[in-house]
Amino acid sequence: MQNSAPQNLRPSHEDPRYGQEDEIFVDLEQLRQKMPRPLRRFFPNGGGHHHREKDRTLFGFTVFLMSESVIFLAFIVSYIALRLTAETWLPPGVKGPEVSTSIIIYTVVLLSSSLVIYLAERALERGKINLFRLLWLTTSAMGSFFLYGEIKEWLSNSFGPSTGLVGSTYYLLTGFHGLHVTAGIILQLIMLGRSFIPHNYDKGHFGATAVSLFWHLVDAIWIILFSLLYLWKA
Amino acid sequence: MTNNPAQSLAGASESATHSEIHNWRQYFSFNTDHKVIGIQYLVTSFIFFLIAGLLGMFIRAELITPPSDLVDRPLYNGLFTMHGTLMIFLWIIPSLVGLANYLVPLMIGAKDMAFPTLNAISFWLIPPGGLLLMSSFLLPSGTAQSGWWSYPPLSIQNPGDNLLNGQLFWCLSLVVLGISSIMAAVNFVTTIIWLRAPGMTFFRMPIFVWSVFSAQILQLLFLPSLTGAAIILFCDLTFGTNFFRPFVDGDPVLYQHLFWFYSHPTVYVWALPCFGIFSEIIPAFSRNPLFGYRSVAIATISLAVITSVVWVHHMFASGTPEWMRLLFMLTSELVAVPTGIKVFAWTATIWRGKLHLETPMLFAIGGVMMFLVGGVTGVMLGAMPFDLHVNNTHFIVGHFHYLVFNTITMAIYGAVYFWFPKMTGRMYAEGWGKIHFWLTFIGANLTFFPMFPLGLQGMVRRISSYEPQYAGWNILASLGAFLLGVSTLPFIANIIASWLYGARATKNPWLATGLEWIVSSPPPKENFEEIPHVHFPPYSYGSPQAWSQDASDPYDY
Amino acid sequence: MLRIIEYLVFAIGAAAIIVVSYLMGQWSYSWLPVEASTDAQRIDDLFCFLVTLGSVIFFGVIGMILFSLIAYRAPKGDYSEGHPIRGDWKLEVTWTAIPTLLVLIIVGYSFIIYQKMDIAGPTRVLGELPVGIQRANAQTINQNIADTELIEVISQQWDWTFRYPKQNVVSKELHLPSNQRVRLVLQSKDVLHGFYVPEFRIKQDIIPNRNINFQFIPTRVGKYQLHDSQFSGTYFAVMQADVYVDTPQDYVRWLAQAANHPSNTLSLAASEEAQPPHQVFKSNWYTVLPAKPKEVDSSNFALRNFTNDQ
Ligand code: HEA
Ligand code: HEA
Ligand code: CUA
Ligand SMILES: [Cu+2]
Repeated sequence: MQNSAPQNLRPSHEDPRYGQEDEIFVDLEQLRQKMPRPLRRFFPNGGGHHHREKDRTLFGFTVFLMSESVIFLAFIVSYIALRLTAETWLPPGVKGPEVSTSIIIYTVVLLSSSLVIYLAERALERGKINLFRLLWLTTSAMGSFFLYGEIKEWLSNSFGPSTGLVGSTYYLLTGFHGLHVTAGIILQLIMLGRSFIPHNYDKGHFGATAVSLFWHLVDAIWIILFSLLYLWKA
Repeated sequence: MTNNPAQSLAGASESATHSEIHNWRQYFSFNTDHKVIGIQYLVTSFIFFLIAGLLGMFIRAELITPPSDLVDRPLYNGLFTMHGTLMIFLWIIPSLVGLANYLVPLMIGAKDMAFPTLNAISFWLIPPGGLLLMSSFLLPSGTAQSGWWSYPPLSIQNPGDNLLNGQLFWCLSLVVLGISSIMAAVNFVTTIIWLRAPGMTFFRMPIFVWSVFSAQILQLLFLPSLTGAAIILFCDLTFGTNFFRPFVDGDPVLYQHLFWFYSHPTVYVWALPCFGIFSEIIPAFSRNPLFGYRSVAIATISLAVITSVVWVHHMFASGTPEWMRLLFMLTSELVAVPTGIKVFAWTATIWRGKLHLETPMLFAIGGVMMFLVGGVTGVMLGAMPFDLHVNNTHFIVGHFHYLVFNTITMAIYGAVYFWFPKMTGRMYAEGWGKIHFWLTFIGANLTFFPMFPLGLQGMVRRISSYEPQYAGWNILASLGAFLLGVSTLPFIANIIASWLYGARATKNPWLATGLEWIVSSPPPKENFEEIPHVHFPPYSYGSPQAWSQDASDPYDY
Repeated sequence: MLRIIEYLVFAIGAAAIIVVSYLMGQWSYSWLPVEASTDAQRIDDLFCFLVTLGSVIFFGVIGMILFSLIAYRAPKGDYSEGHPIRGDWKLEVTWTAIPTLLVLIIVGYSFIIYQKMDIAGPTRVLGELPVGIQRANAQTINQNIADTELIEVISQQWDWTFRYPKQNVVSKELHLPSNQRVRLVLQSKDVLHGFYVPEFRIKQDIIPNRNINFQFIPTRVGKYQLHDSQFSGTYFAVMQADVYVDTPQDYVRWLAQAANHPSNTLSLAASEEAQPPHQVFKSNWYTVLPAKPKEVDSSNFALRNFTNDQ
């Protein structure tokens, strides 16, 4: 492919082909235009400095969450693999995690907190700052209630972390998830504190959006864990 | 030092930033400038390289004679475990992150990384992570001694029953370094997607940017698997869980899967940026455009895809079912195709060029040549029946040192020489660079070639004593290793002296294309006074004045 | 002018590379230890093929690079540009297609070799896909293979024990009858180990609490070294055992003899542990203690099911 046109004959800025003449195989800009809107803002094509910083940060945070969930994925795959291949899943005399009314209550509280945090976010968008604070605090309270419940479960279990594979997997999965709930609550409290700083929301409320994204993820993961740990019967 | 015409041409336009004396203290502070962070990464990881290399010298000193006579057996096991872990997690990965930190924003025309503070935090996790790992030398139970793979159940045996043991430190430091890498990866991916200058479309990005992009996506998707494995190992070790305990139905092979699921893709996290470095240096010193730029870019991405489904080739002998052996043999061999595209592209780039063999070019060409040895032996290993013979022998050690040292470390050396004028504003001493190259090239082949015959003969790796029949090749390898140790000295001397006293460098001493060469050396704080607009494909060598068009006035639209 | 030289060098080079690669392939047999099992020969053939092909690729590319380095050096002080050619899709397709083809050939050939090999597939963890169900043993050079010998191999840090269940013999050396299919049941009492005799060219990791079936046909009478091939801790380096391939008569004789003289030698690891360390640098880091000889008795290690577990 002889490049006959000299390199230095550059298309002008106004040229409609500007910035695209190299995209022979895939016209990324066209692809981008076809994407649904919320996706589109995650993929600017050149000239990122035109875009708002908030979008970029949210993009980064989403990527981070994806990566973070791979750790959970690794744990969950390990759980499934061990459970499918182990000869004795339950050591004699040990009953695995059992569905009880209390655990259902804790689960329902945690899951509905997702709705609450969503409402909180809506309130913030509409500028109802006090409603936001109230709902936000409710979310943390619900999360804390779940944590409290989980610790109670832990203490009342008939098995410990070194009881066969049930115990090992149960404590690893719930423990790691519990750590995330804790982190979520701490982040929420920080955001709550920040809401009292004047002009905190002048540049948008990226922090609140990110925390609520994180919270939704933590809740979604709990659904998976709950099904695997409690609902999957031997 | 070069005396090419660009110095006089571009030298005239040197800006005042030169007079801005860089305060050395900034390198010891929490600084958010990507260029400072890049250099922090490079220097820190180089120090770890020296430490890990010193451990390697001890390994080779022990192996120069058949009996175990220099270090006692637990110490030898600690030595290679720490050597491997330090080299991988504290030399290769951070040094490449450092280079990428310095170069990616410049190359895509951005003022900084997307998240400068996060960037600084990622860096500042490295020294504590490394020191944590190193501090296990002081524990009464010693460092981790189960190899850099830390396969259980060996790694969870904990003979002294100490709560604080080397393996624990190993797990924790891997988690810390993993967090640092993930944050860096988030930063790179966001930066490359969002902060490209106007006109810098994907298919105008330099290959180095493409490779950093692919490599960091690999980090994002696969590194958490290693972090997860380290966390589980930590639980088994400390909290008595049973994941990997075979006698209570745990599955040690599961760990191997989690480990290699990351640790195979990671070899391309190291290799890809080095391929990027080759793709920058080779066109610049042969004055030809990179041949087949687009197919190289696509090969980069496809490598990232294929490399994510080959991990079982490290477990051919691990009680792996037959179908896995065969399937992963096929995928492993397929990696050769996109890699070949790159090798051929470099070969075609120097074809009918105007070659200048300055130090960076020597390192690049030398690196490509030795990559062929590593790659061809890799393809042999991928042929599973043959791997059953050489698995866990010194053949493997030879294979991967041809890659991790002879290719990757060579590429990093080349990159340091190539961008040294940019980073410091000074030229290095060319003669010393050439000496460094030849010592390294000869030393590396002397050290690592003998490992192939040793492995074929059946010398198992990770042993501190061996049968006398293996002595000959081992002596050669050890002597080569000492030569390698010596070879670092001209490099260190050259870098330090040139940084302090070298001749001033111009903007673009190599007449190279690429946005990093249109700013002063070293670049000013926010890189570009005005974000450049890109109107030309990369590597526009070969046409007269291509470089000067790029170099002189990039804003002339 | 340069063009003509290029073509000439090209043609001569290509011919030379083919010859050299062929010679490398033939030479490669001598880099390996003697062949002492039926599989050894197959592996060596594969290796010869890989070396030949690898040499073509290596010398081919290196040759191009070296030629360019010699022919296209810029004269001193010449900073002119090269050529503006950015690619050639025909060439690029070619150098994608040919390696793909070569790779498929490598995989195909390896697959055929694997099919011919006498080793049994290791434990079936997640079920077997229906690839290569047939272990084609018919091609084996030795036509009249006697009944399978079954030997239990017990590994532990850092010691090997071999048990011949039929004869109830426990030994510290592994004796194998030549030209007969031997079937080993590999077991470990603590951590991962690996069964490796270089002259047999085959290797298998041993996983604790699993019985791994492993079979091959030794062919060459002689004494070999079994080495642990999966890193197992402090005394990994000395976890060795002697392997004797005997003629069937000698083998039977040895079995009869060994039944009367149970061997109870101290392992290399245990005897080294008993000595004070003599190395220059002593770390005195903690280690698992090597097994004492009497711990390795066969009675507490009942042979479990002989088929692959699960
Ligand atoms: C940067 C590092 C790096 C790179 C790039 C590679 C590249 C490759 N590696 Fe390697 N490898 C390691 C680092 C690396 N490896 C490490 C660290 C280990 C050991 C870890 C440990 O055990 O401690 C290892 C171990 C290892 C094993 C396990 C061996 C064992 O333990 O038993 C295998 C097996 O398949 C393997 C295969 C390959 C293959 C097929 C490639 C391919 O990607 C190579 C492809 C390149 C080429 C083939 C050359 C160029 C191509 C052409 C010129 C085209 C034409 C070629 C053909 C048609 C063949 N490697
Ligand atoms: C990733 C990169 C990497 C690099 C660059 C190297 C570099 C080197 N390695 Fe590496 N090596 C590994 C990664 C690497 N290695 C890994 C992953 C393993 C496997 C571990 C395992 O099995 O678990 C391994 C294993 C390994 C073994 C096998 C041990 C065994 O199995 O028994 C050997 C043996 O020769 C060896 C030797 C060397 C040598 C001589 C170098 C040389 O290139 C080093 C050259 C050194 C220098 C250039 C620095 C010299 C410095 C000085 C002399 C001055 C020092 C001064 C101060 C500190 C103040 N290495
Ligand atoms: Cu064009 Cu900004
Ligand atoms: Cu690999």
